[in-house]
Amino acid sequence: MAEILHKEGKVIEDISAKFKIAGKAQRERRVWVTIDKDNLIALCNFVKELGFEHLSAISVTDWPEEGTFELTYHLWSYSKKILLTIKTKLDRTDPIVDSVISIWRENAQIHERELHELFGVEFEGNEDLTPLFLEDWDGPPPFRKDFDWKEYVRQQCYDQANERERAYYD
Amino acid sequence: MTKQMNEKELITIEHIEQIIPEDTDYNFYFGPAHSGSGNFGVKLRIDGEKVTSARADPGYLHRGFEKLMEYRVPMQNAVLSDRVCVLEALNWNLVHAEAVDELTGIEVPQRARYIRVLMAELSRLQSHLIWYGVMSLALGFDTGFKMAFGYRDYILDIFELITGGRVYPAGYICPGGVRRDLPDGSEDKIKRVLDQTEEMMQKMKDFDNIVFSKRTRGVGILRTEDAIRLGATGPVLRACGVKTDVRKDDPYEIYNELEFDIPVREEGDAYARCLIRGREMEESIKIIKQVLNRIPQGNIREPAKITPPSRVKIPEGEVYVRNELARGEGCVYMRSVGGREPYRVKIRGPDFLHMIPVLEHLLKGAEIADIPAIYWSLNICPADMDR
Repeated sequence: MAEILHKEGKVIEDISAKFKIAGKAQRERRVWVTIDKDNLIALCNFVKELGFEHLSAISVTDWPEEGTFELTYHLWSYSKKILLTIKTKLDRTDPIVDSVISIWRENAQIHERELHELFGVEFEGNEDLTPLFLEDWDGPPPFRKDFDWKEYVRQQCYDQANERERAYYD
Repeated sequence: MTKQMNEKELITIEHIEQIIPEDTDYNFYFGPAHSGSGNFGVKLRIDGEKVTSARADPGYLHRGFEKLMEYRVPMQNAVLSDRVCVLEALNWNLVHAEAVDELTGIEVPQRARYIRVLMAELSRLQSHLIWYGVMSLALGFDTGFKMAFGYRDYILDIFELITGGRVYPAGYICPGGVRRDLPDGSEDKIKRVLDQTEEMMQKMKDFDNIVFSKRTRGVGILRTEDAIRLGATGPVLRACGVKTDVRKDDPYEIYNELEFDIPVREEGDAYARCLIRGREMEESIKIIKQVLNRIPQGNIREPAKITPPSRVKIPEGEVYVRNELARGEGCVYMRSVGGREPYRVKIRGPDFLHMIPVLEHLLKGAEIADIPAIYWSLNICPADMDR
């Protein structure tokens, strides 16, 4: 397996030569690297130059026990035909990260705006983080693991005093 | 008497100047329950006839699938994945199933892979027919709308025959394969429907000159560098001269064994986007014919018997699966920590980018009359943007 992944190995080599981090070629056309958040922007600039011009998605995974948010940037290169995922971790109590808006422009802007609304991550440098989907929402960011939507729905939509709706409380 | 009245009512140019205010700026809200916009709005600022700024207003169809999937096992999520986009439910079934398959490492039987591709391409065909219908409607060409929806129904008959549902297949393409085998005689029926679809495509070509080219040529031009920067994918990107298709560049299922072309055009306008979709339908028919000729016998799911969901655990890991949908690149990022439910699912729909940055960019500077043409040339679907 390892000897077939030339293309993927070359990308990892290029990145690790500059940033001293290890990468993983998961399979054909899939490369994963992890970096600390201080070097994130430098790495993003570097991989954009390498040809990863399409930001496919940004995602956040919430790890409440560990106290972190994990950000994943999924990048596709039209020339190399490789999907590179950059992972970085943030402190959950102070989730601030530099915006990649200067690198992937409007595309990054809209993804960051979504994640700010759903996870409450602050993207420094992104000036328009107005809510996208939720109207008049003043609760906690709803996609966090500690937001109990079942309890929320029970309280908002069902009345315990109502005989027909009491079952939802049993 | 009559003469006097006529003189009184005659409107002169001085009158008109008095009526029209000096300030010609106004706000215009396109949507959210407009027949031409779906459950989605755009707030426009208009000066005279020109759009000076546009801001997308999504959220009318937000159902929180990513969160819902964290509480359900993959077989339930397969059913949920239909709903990500109404107009191409089977394609979203496929993206979700592939993500689970890659995590579990299950070798999907070859017959199931063929059936999956067959269904995905039929779904692409009917999705493009819907697009042709609503595009015609947006351009004031009702006949096209009715014909396209009529011909689409033949494909829905096939879906009903195979999956049991006309629009929502209820997770027909599920982790490990597909839910049930093709019923007897379905190959012949599919071939007959392909003939009917080709008949419709011939009609689309005949209509082409009258309405489509006049209303869409030179409208909503998207340049290549803008398209890449704004995150456009699929037919929208291919209409700007970028030859890319996930089925070729990042092949999944059996696409690397099939022969088909990637239609590309250089113009980048709404007309180019229309022509690309017409060509794509031809390619889809080509793919379906190859699949029907080569489809092997065998199992349709691995394991053949569906295990009670409580016993199945998803191995720890993370995957990012990309598929070519009718609208562009559809992806699922799935993270598992070894539980029964996925720990995190991120759904990336093509229209999240097409309906917000791309649409805002294209509408700026456009004429009011061109808004529907631009809007539908992107073949948008609010469902997969809001998720």
